[in-house]
Amino acid sequence: MSRFSARLPGLALNGYGFVLTAFITLPMLFPVAVAFTNGDSLAFPPQGLSLRWFAAALDNRQFMTGLRLSLLIAAGSTAIATVAGVCAAMAIGRYQFRGRVLIQAVVMLPLSLPAIVLGLGLLFVLPLYGLRTGMLATMLGHALLGLPYVLSMVLAALSNYDPTLERASLNLGAGPVRTFFSVTLPLIRGGILAGALATFLLSFDNISLSLFLSKNDTLPLRMMQQMQSYADPGVAALSTILLVFSLAGLLILVPRMGRAK
Amino acid sequence: MRAVRPWLWLLPAGALVVPLFFLPVAFLLRNSVYRDDPMRFLVPDFTFANYITVLTDAYYLKVFSNSLGLAALVSVLALVLAYPYAQLITRASERMRLLLLWMVCLPLYVSIIMRVFGWIVIIGDAGVLNQLLLKLGLVKTPLHIMFEFEGMVIGMLHRYFPLMVLPLLSSLQKIDPSVLRSSTNLGAGRVRTWLWVVLPLSIPGAVAGIQLVFAGVLSDYVIPMLMGSTRFPIIAPTIFQEASTNASWATAGALGVVLLALVLAINVVANALIARAAPWTLRS
Repeated sequence: MSRFSARLPGLALNGYGFVLTAFITLPMLFPVAVAFTNGDSLAFPPQGLSLRWFAAALDNRQFMTGLRLSLLIAAGSTAIATVAGVCAAMAIGRYQFRGRVLIQAVVMLPLSLPAIVLGLGLLFVLPLYGLRTGMLATMLGHALLGLPYVLSMVLAALSNYDPTLERASLNLGAGPVRTFFSVTLPLIRGGILAGALATFLLSFDNISLSLFLSKNDTLPLRMMQQMQSYADPGVAALSTILLVFSLAGLLILVPRMGRAK
Repeated sequence: MRAVRPWLWLLPAGALVVPLFFLPVAFLLRNSVYRDDPMRFLVPDFTFANYITVLTDAYYLKVFSNSLGLAALVSVLALVLAYPYAQLITRASERMRLLLLWMVCLPLYVSIIMRVFGWIVIIGDAGVLNQLLLKLGLVKTPLHIMFEFEGMVIGMLHRYFPLMVLPLLSSLQKIDPSVLRSSTNLGAGRVRTWLWVVLPLSIPGAVAGIQLVFAGVLSDYVIPMLMGSTRFPIIAPTIFQEASTNASWATAGALGVVLLALVLAINVVANALIARAAPWTLRS
């Protein structure tokens, strides 16, 4: 009995961990179950099993055009943010210059700017660049949001290895360009991958900035409209498909991030 | 030549940050001192009338107090719930720790729409929770949680929970086990060691977590729109409504500037707190 009471705090903590893990994961598991329903409602347990909501989601033109657009925007903004972020990290992580700390703070600033505030301002700036709401504007906006993530993750990767490796490469006769591509880049690959992944996910799931910058036609906005007008299991089916793809992507990418150190 | 090199590396980032961050913020500031005109679009002016409206009008004051209250509530709930969880993760075996870490990070990879959908299935009027409560006879009529204040709190808590756990975890994992051993060797019991060693050393993580959750809740548009109620208006949807529905760009601008100021103030206070509570985290 006394041994049991001694173990009680540990048991309580484990039980607590179980409950909280359920709180975290259940909202992601229930939509998967509801997606397989044969009925028309969101009720759980599902009424009969069928794949008809998956067919309905894949047949939905609104969803499919939204998906294509969101993938394009996410790919474009990831490319832009990654190039800009890696270059900025090289400047901040590899050089000593006046205003270095200030510049780093400035590039990190978009992180604390509420997207709704940024969107409100961007709407007035777009005409200056001859841009209208749409794919390119949304892509650029998302790239700005991703930049701080790429910068911080690449900076962390840069500080993880010895800069003398670069000096050695230079001393051995490789030019600065070759040194960058064949020494520096492979060493910070994990950080780059992590930053790019963060940007992609952020863009693909973004609502509050796309609200101002897109024509209300990105996938998350289309799904949001669908949910607000008629809540049917179609949104759950599409979410389930996306979940499978993103989990598969993670399982492929995450091991590569760690190994590159 | 060497002196310009870092600036060359900074060019691409500058090409993003200057036109897409500084100019929009500048335009927002400009809009906020312009005047809304019901007949025309936005009239050039230099007036603080919008700020006075936004900071004195009963409706906007309610919006701000609602938002700040909600942000404080969610932050405290997240901290209280996340602390034991983070401790559990630090104490777990290698495999368990990895599994729990994946669980914590999983919501970050799942679309917010799917998470909201899951909450509808769970806490909706005909949801799993209500079915269970009705069956057990604990309630006579379904509990109204979704599309209410409570639903919004649950949604926010779920959305921002990882942002509290991760910084807490990084603080807790940095604690050197030998410090804990010396505390025990010097005669302090478990409770005392926790109170005087673990807790103070974890303050930076807690403050960083609160900062992230508080700022996240304040700027959130999606959860209040999809899980909340219009009877409890908060700041981000209000800004969007002023801009899009009412076309009151100057008012929306002033609201946006106040929100931005609030978020920056939170960052400054959090950094000052961390510097005071944990001076060793400052870079020399």
